[in-house]
Amino acid sequence: MKINYPEHHYEIVKTLLDGKFILFPGKLYKIISEQENKEFYIDFFKESFGYELKVETEYIYLISDNTDEKTSRDIMIFISILAFEIDKEGKNFIEELNNSLFNLERINQYFENSHSWNDIIKENKQISSRESRKSLIYNTMLKRNLIEKIGESFQFTKAHKVFLDFALELIEKEKNE
Amino acid sequence: MIKAEPKTILYFIYQHFDLLKELFTAQSKNNSIDYNFLNNEIEKYGKEIEKQLFEYHILKIINDEYQITDIYYNLFEFILQQFKPLLPEEIEKYVQSISQLFFKIKEDIIKDKNILIDRIDSLTNEIDKFLSQVKNNTASLLIKSKELKANIESIDYQEKIHKASFWIEYYIIPLNKIIDVQNSESIYNLLLKISEYTNDKRMNYNDENIRLKFERLYNRLKHTLVDVRLQSEILVNELIPLIERIKTENSILKGMHIYLSKGYWHHIKDKPQCKIFKKQRDSIISKDFALTTKEYFEQFQQEEDIFINEDKHQFNDWIFDKVKYKERILESLPIDDFFEWSINEIKSDYKGFNTSNYFTIVSLLFEKDLNIEYQQKYKNIIIENDNTELKIPVLKITKNEN
Repeated sequence: MKINYPEHHYEIVKTLLDGKFILFPGKLYKIISEQENKEFYIDFFKESFGYELKVETEYIYLISDNTDEKTSRDIMIFISILAFEIDKEGKNFIEELNNSLFNLERINQYFENSHSWNDIIKENKQISSRESRKSLIYNTMLKRNLIEKIGESFQFTKAHKVFLDFALELIEKEKNE
Repeated sequence: MIKAEPKTILYFIYQHFDLLKELFTAQSKNNSIDYNFLNNEIEKYGKEIEKQLFEYHILKIINDEYQITDIYYNLFEFILQQFKPLLPEEIEKYVQSISQLFFKIKEDIIKDKNILIDRIDSLTNEIDKFLSQVKNNTASLLIKSKELKANIESIDYQEKIHKASFWIEYYIIPLNKIIDVQNSESIYNLLLKISEYTNDKRMNYNDENIRLKFERLYNRLKHTLVDVRLQSEILVNELIPLIERIKTENSILKGMHIYLSKGYWHHIKDKPQCKIFKKQRDSIISKDFALTTKEYFEQFQQEEDIFINEDKHQFNDWIFDKVKYKERILESLPIDDFFEWSINEIKSDYKGFNTSNYFTIVSLLFEKDLNIEYQQKYKNIIIENDNTELKIPVLKITKNEN
């Protein structure tokens, strides 16, 4: 039986299995989000690997029962502390994460002046130093398409909203406990 | 008793308004002016002004506390449009006085005309004061809420939420209750009743002078009702949503606060984490698969020169002929289980199949025209000739059409 795969099938599967987010309005996003392909890929990943494909309005990603908890934890801490510091500055952190350009100097200032979360920053090796933060941003987050490098700066892609949504989920969880 | 000319006082205020504004701001924050702060300010602006501040009754001292006297404080509040929000209880007293005056007017409508006139005037004044207080309060609460949203004071998230909750619970919601157009018990509905009553009296009362007083009150009520409705709309449509937005926007921060403060980041195995995909090392299509597999097999792969036979050697009479096996594999496609195919192929040439043979033939997998599909399962095999047990992925081989 010959199966006709959607265009760029290999790239789609490879990207998602590499743990990357596929972003709107890229060509891969366009292909997957077409209704017919969307159903195909949801089934494909479920049947082939047992993974759940999440197709959101701005990004697509895979999740599995076995998640990358440590990376998730490090990014969640990073984005949370960043959000608190931006909020303290009097800016709307949602807008800033959505639109603003960041550079390492700005990030370092936030983390070095964050008194409220100093203990957590010190304890987490992925965010405790300038070098580790640089690595978290330009290795871990860049590889997963959570940020986009623009010259010497970077911008969060829409995929960062996964972590904001998770924060909202936590409130519901706490309410139900 | 103030001896100075009014114009002299006003000129003093004009000349030293920057100082007075700083004193006003200090008192607005702390209800009084700190002694050291006052001394520093006076030194900054010139020692000679201290005497005038007290002589013109701008400042007063009560039990070592310095304060701007009420009349000046109210003036600065008005000029600067920086009203301190009043507690709803302070506003509610006008509801009481308006209500009582109205009751008295109705009760004694046919009694002494002079007291009736005084009461109508007093009711008009109370309504004016009430409206003025509500407008000032709404304006100041709006400023406070906007400042809070912009986080002018750079306060922490928790304090911000605390303040937002505080303003809404103790000031905004109770004030809305007092003036709410929809609430039958609100001042708005009381003013409506007064307006209906006044409308009747301004036309039907037998004394013209009193009719005019009612006319004046009625006109005032007409504007007041419009203004109260407007203030209620500001509260409902602008102020309450603004405060709610502070709280809603911050619900994400609240979730993040839970994550950071309740140990979610610390106990990652016990507490839920944001699900992000964990790259599977053994995935056939993962980025590093080809490289790592190649590395793995290469360590077992033997160079061709080890197959050079020496006379005395009990040589292995199976030599890997890559071209031959490549042809065979292409003929056999699709192959469901690469291992099984390998063992059968090698055994057909040479009975003494061993581990080394297998790893040698595995190099065929790196041929570009073959497509490898990982079947999500492994199998344990025992190679009897050299008593080796291997855990091997089941690989399906098809023709690579690209």
